[in-house]
Amino acid sequence: MSVLVQNEAGFVPDITDEATTESPAERGSRLATSADLYRRWERQQWSVAEVNPSRDAAAWRALRPFSQEQLLGSLAELEVGEVCVTQTLGSLTDHPQTEDDRIYLCTQMADEARHVRFFQTYIEDACGVDLAEQQGRELAATADYAKVFAPELTRITSQVRIDGSPESWYRALVHYHLITEGVLAATALRTTRFLAKRLNLEALDEGLTNVTRDESRHVSFGLRAAADGVVNGYREVIADAHVEAIDAAAWVLIGPARHNPSPAIPMALASRAAQLQGSVDIGRERLLKQLRIIGMPELVESLDQLWTAGIDKALDAYEEAWDAQHPIRAAKAA
Amino acid sequence: MSETLRNDVRRLIGEMSPLGSRTAQPTDRLVEDLGYDSLAVIELSLQLESQFSLKPMSQDDATAITTVGDIEELVVSSSTEAAAEIG
Repeated sequence: MSVLVQNEAGFVPDITDEATTESPAERGSRLATSADLYRRWERQQWSVAEVNPSRDAAAWRALRPFSQEQLLGSLAELEVGEVCVTQTLGSLTDHPQTEDDRIYLCTQMADEARHVRFFQTYIEDACGVDLAEQQGRELAATADYAKVFAPELTRITSQVRIDGSPESWYRALVHYHLITEGVLAATALRTTRFLAKRLNLEALDEGLTNVTRDESRHVSFGLRAAADGVVNGYREVIADAHVEAIDAAAWVLIGPARHNPSPAIPMALASRAAQLQGSVDIGRERLLKQLRIIGMPELVESLDQLWTAGIDKALDAYEEAWDAQHPIRAAKAA
Repeated sequence: MSETLRNDVRRLIGEMSPLGSRTAQPTDRLVEDLGYDSLAVIELSLQLESQFSLKPMSQDDATAITTVGDIEELVVSSSTEAAAEIG
């Protein structure tokens, strides 16, 4: 059954929460086509101006330093990710598998630009951080996505422009639609929306709900295209791309570059560890569900092991960078 | 010293209540009476650490924190241990 989140603008289906017991042919006929997604895009328009991020400014100023720091870190990761996907989508649009894919990908380009504007406007108008000044520049520069995943996504999408081959296109599709959007962005959006609701940041909640609805279309496209690729001879390249991307994805979810204090009081430490572990679990669950949806259940076990190894590696890196245990490990050791 | 410390801790817990700043009593329950949830407990812990120099504790130190008085006790014993280590 789909998990539905309702707001005034409609429902936000989480595509990976749908049943995954069909055959590849059944899945192919059920997943939305590019033409379906184009029509959905026409119905689901929104604007940054209507969300009006500045209405959260007073509530933002009233937040405790910990909540501000955590939210700002999440918003910076999302903003940096959106800038990167806006810059790299062009090569996928230039070499689509079908003309309907091209039309759909053009709509996604508009979405990505709107997401960049939303996060930048929110950080500046609600959080009061000037992205052109030192604090803003440092915020973006320390985002783990910028340092680890963005260079890889840029390299892989550039290859599509160079050779225009379906192999390069499907490799880029996995890094872009299935890992960056289906695992990383979807996880960050879910946890950040939870915080926005809890902290009564109404504009952030509304904006993130809109972004999540858009991302649902993007991930739907990625799943459909990848499922087609699996049955049309590109199974191997799609599997390889997952293996290539998984370490960097696990790294970004842990975020070794960002300080994560371990509270001294055990019940607080347990809560913090549960929050962070929850995010890791959401990412893992989405990754494995996506594999089933695109018709690659045989990869689930090995990628699950790679995911766990990637998380361990990132936790080691955190410890080395900060000379302290990450809260997930500190809670286990307590 | 200990009573002053307890008062300071209690005042901070009351000020940081998610239900809005209020006067807390030692018998108030953090969750049921003062509205603390997981995020608020993390914020409280970090604030206590910065104001009272708490050292990390093991699970044995705090198996059943339910009330404001439990937190007061935790901070007092942590600061007593820290003072003993310095002394």
